[in-house]
Amino acid sequence: MNLMKKQEQDVQKVSRMEVAPQTRIDEAEDAFTLTVELPGVAEKDIDVTLENRTLTVTAENTVGIYKDYTLALTEIPEVRYRTAFELPEHVDTAAVKAANRDGLLILTLPKSERVKPRRIAITAG
Amino acid sequence: MQIKRRFRKINRKVRTLNKERRSIMRAYVGTMNNPWRLFDELSNDFPFDFLNSAWRARSGQYPRVNVWENEKGLVVEAEVAGVDPEKLDVSVDANVLTLKGEKAEGKDAKSEFQRSFNLPFELDNEKIKAVAKNGVLTITIPRKEGTEKRKIAIEKL
Repeated sequence: MNLMKKQEQDVQKVSRMEVAPQTRIDEAEDAFTLTVELPGVAEKDIDVTLENRTLTVTAENTVGIYKDYTLALTEIPEVRYRTAFELPEHVDTAAVKAANRDGLLILTLPKSERVKPRRIAITAG
Repeated sequence: MQIKRRFRKINRKVRTLNKERRSIMRAYVGTMNNPWRLFDELSNDFPFDFLNSAWRARSGQYPRVNVWENEKGLVVEAEVAGVDPEKLDVSVDANVLTLKGEKAEGKDAKSEFQRSFNLPFELDNEKIKAVAKNGVLTITIPRKEGTEKRKIAIEKL
């Protein structure tokens, strides 16, 4: 690949606007669920990284381009989605799982064993 | 003397205000040149349509769309992340295209949205195709046959 082309691609990468995606956090007894809306993003363009306790999601959407057609209304820009979360102490970072469905990235953040509610058996004294 | 100076100040303020108002008016007229804007939601009378629709799209009231057009028909792309394709409803009545859907918000909460477009031509009901992928719904709509643009010859008297 020649240098010119590479530079062009770099420029295209930079020129995307960076926006924070819509997210929602649900808490259940044993895990948090983090739902990130990434419409128009293919699975290969999603990047989830976990560094120390910081979870970062970056993704780039693909906007369809139709030849022989003219654009009559544009509301969907080409963007780079980026969001980061500081995971609390009681999330088990080793067991974080990610799934992708219908343009949603669903991250399951299990709570570590020591904060889960547990029943204490009473022994007869 | 001082009153005079104050008057001058007020006058200047009024002038800049008028200028601003004119530029807003111009922006509004600019959006009116776009036929889609005119035919879109009726409540879009706020001058900065873009901000308005972006805000509404963000608040989940309706999905954002890209519309591509040529003589044969339209391609509509709508962002419907998190909407189960089975809960999506695309319907057509004469030249009105309606997108309806239901989005799950967490375990038992849900939100509904609906967006209609008044299209500039009649649609072919039978040939509409809709595909949902990665949270984007792509609708291909051909123009109804016999409603294509045609040139009218001008006769000489």
